[in-house]
Amino acid sequence: MNGAGTYLATRDLAKRFGGIVATEQVSLDIAEGELRCIIGPNGAGKSTLFALLCGIHRPDSGRIFIKEQDVTSLPSFRRVRLGVGLTFQTNRAFHDLNVRQNLEVPMGATGSATHSRSARSEDRYRYALSVFGLDGLRETPARELPHHQLQWLEIAMVLSGGPDILLLDEPTAGMSPEETTQTARVLQHLNDDGLTIVVVEHDIAFVRQVAQRVTVLHQGSVFAEGSIDEITAHDDVRRIYLGQA
Amino acid sequence: MKRLFRLATGPEDIGRSPGFWGAFAVLILYLFASPLWLGEFEAYNISFYLLNLPLALGLCLLWGYCGVLSFGQVAYFGIAGYVYGIIAGNLVGTGWGPIAGELGGLAACVVVSAVFGYFVFYARVQAWIVPILTLVLTLLLETFLGQTAGYQWRVGNVQLGGYNGMTGIPSFQVGNLVFYGYAFYYFVLVAVVLCYFACRMVVNSHFGKVMLAIREDPLRAELLGYDIRARQLGVFVLASVLAGISGLFYVQWGNYITPSQVGLVSAALPVIWVAVGGRTSLLAVAISTYALNWVNYSLSSAGNQYALVIIGALLVIVMLFFPRGIVVMLAEAGFRGSLARLRAALRLG
Ligand SMILES: Nc1ncnc2c1ncn2[C@@H]1O[C@H](COP(=O)(O)OP(=O)(O)OP(=O)(O)O)[C@@H](O)[C@H]1O
Ligand SMILES: [Mg+2]
Repeated sequence: MNGAGTYLATRDLAKRFGGIVATEQVSLDIAEGELRCIIGPNGAGKSTLFALLCGIHRPDSGRIFIKEQDVTSLPSFRRVRLGVGLTFQTNRAFHDLNVRQNLEVPMGATGSATHSRSARSEDRYRYALSVFGLDGLRETPARELPHHQLQWLEIAMVLSGGPDILLLDEPTAGMSPEETTQTARVLQHLNDDGLTIVVVEHDIAFVRQVAQRVTVLHQGSVFAEGSIDEITAHDDVRRIYLGQA
Repeated sequence: MKRLFRLATGPEDIGRSPGFWGAFAVLILYLFASPLWLGEFEAYNISFYLLNLPLALGLCLLWGYCGVLSFGQVAYFGIAGYVYGIIAGNLVGTGWGPIAGELGGLAACVVVSAVFGYFVFYARVQAWIVPILTLVLTLLLETFLGQTAGYQWRVGNVQLGGYNGMTGIPSFQVGNLVFYGYAFYYFVLVAVVLCYFACRMVVNSHFGKVMLAIREDPLRAELLGYDIRARQLGVFVLASVLAGISGLFYVQWGNYITPSQVGLVSAALPVIWVAVGGRTSLLAVAISTYALNWVNYSLSSAGNQYALVIIGALLVIVMLFFPRGIVVMLAEAGFRGSLARLRAALRLG
């Protein structure tokens, strides 16, 4: 990743909900083509950070940049058109629609704006469809899918829009170890293909398998950042996070 | 052409099999041929059941497919009717007054629904507030129209008429051809069939899929790159124009309109038609709207004062036993039943 430009950056992002500080002074740099894991105990502010990145919440202070463009005040759909794709912590595929409809909805959203679905993102999408086994299930209502496939559907749905960066909030929650490994393999393949990925994860085995760099959030702030070995060797991190897990 | 055909016959409505389209064609032919044996009076009554369809189809798009419940679609019905009455009434004898009236009426619907919808959707008000806001608008319109009784309330030589309403509204006319009786029946029939196909094309287009996504989960839809405010506004304006089309037909049919057409009871009726048939299907809504208008009209013209009570009771019963709409649920049951029968037959064979 050396020499690659910064794809996504935040500077001193802060967000409070009433008296609760959800994030405080978060500054992150995600390089183009990076696969970053964000870990941290419950309530550390991981999901809030994603919500700020996507424009679901507005930060109280601080700035967000995508490819050096300041997007802090852009509405969500414009950030998506710049190339951001998000899956939610609780699955939000369209449960009452079938698989085909879920996958067709995002097509055409990004194509109409500055960002267009390239041949490359088309390939990634096709790849995801086949490894996730969604190809043969087009007319199946989403709510009839098993849990792990519903998680995969949401990832495939986001890929269908042709993003440049994937933000995945606990994509393997509730999956079996085999399904988790499978997910990790797919994400790694997509990343090898050049897709920038940021994953919030609790599962350390998963993090070990995929992450190049790990960011630890704690009480709304970046607590540590480094390779997985540096992070797991870090005494304070073990104490606040790994000790609990 | 092929593309249009695919859009019209696409999967987003019940009724997709060749058998269905055969029956549909027979029904249309029957409706076209029926003036051969129907009296002009009956044709006139059927025009009335049919003319409410665009209003209902618009609400079906907005509520059933896009997830936005408007309780005030009759406002646009009324706006189109009154504006038509004013324009056509002032251009009597010109031959093109009614066409100008139609264009003016629909333009007024577009402007009012776009401005009102802009404030509603761009303010991102919560979904449950929309029915209240839309209802308030139509009740305000009713109140306003109700106090226009005085002689000062006239536009050119047309009186607004307060609660007595506007009378003597011209029938539709192109040049010397005046549409009443059978001619009006055909005019409405053709327009309604076109409206149905147009709506079916909308729901089967990509725009239609995005409507479904917004209905299911607006935030998820926005995070797939859609400006949901603009989409909801677009559907709202479309639904309002459809309501306006019904309003035009209504005043051309009865030659009068009163403020009660935009009042509370009138506002509730389209919601009932759509809910009873099943709001997730255009076809179901078309069927229930026709049927309920027939029931209501037959009961009330037979002097039954309880027509509305009966319609209301019907709503309650249907919602208890067929919460997703009677036509939709029967169609699904029928579909499953024939699948089961087919499987049984294959096993035997
Ligand atoms: N919409 C909200 N309103 C009020 N408080 C909120 C809201 N969203 C998050 N919070 C609070 O902000 C803090 C950070 O929450 P967040 O969901 O970002 O944590 P997280 O790191 O994703 O936790 P988890 O691992 O449980 O998903 C928590 O204390 C939470 O209660
Ligand atoms: Mg979270």
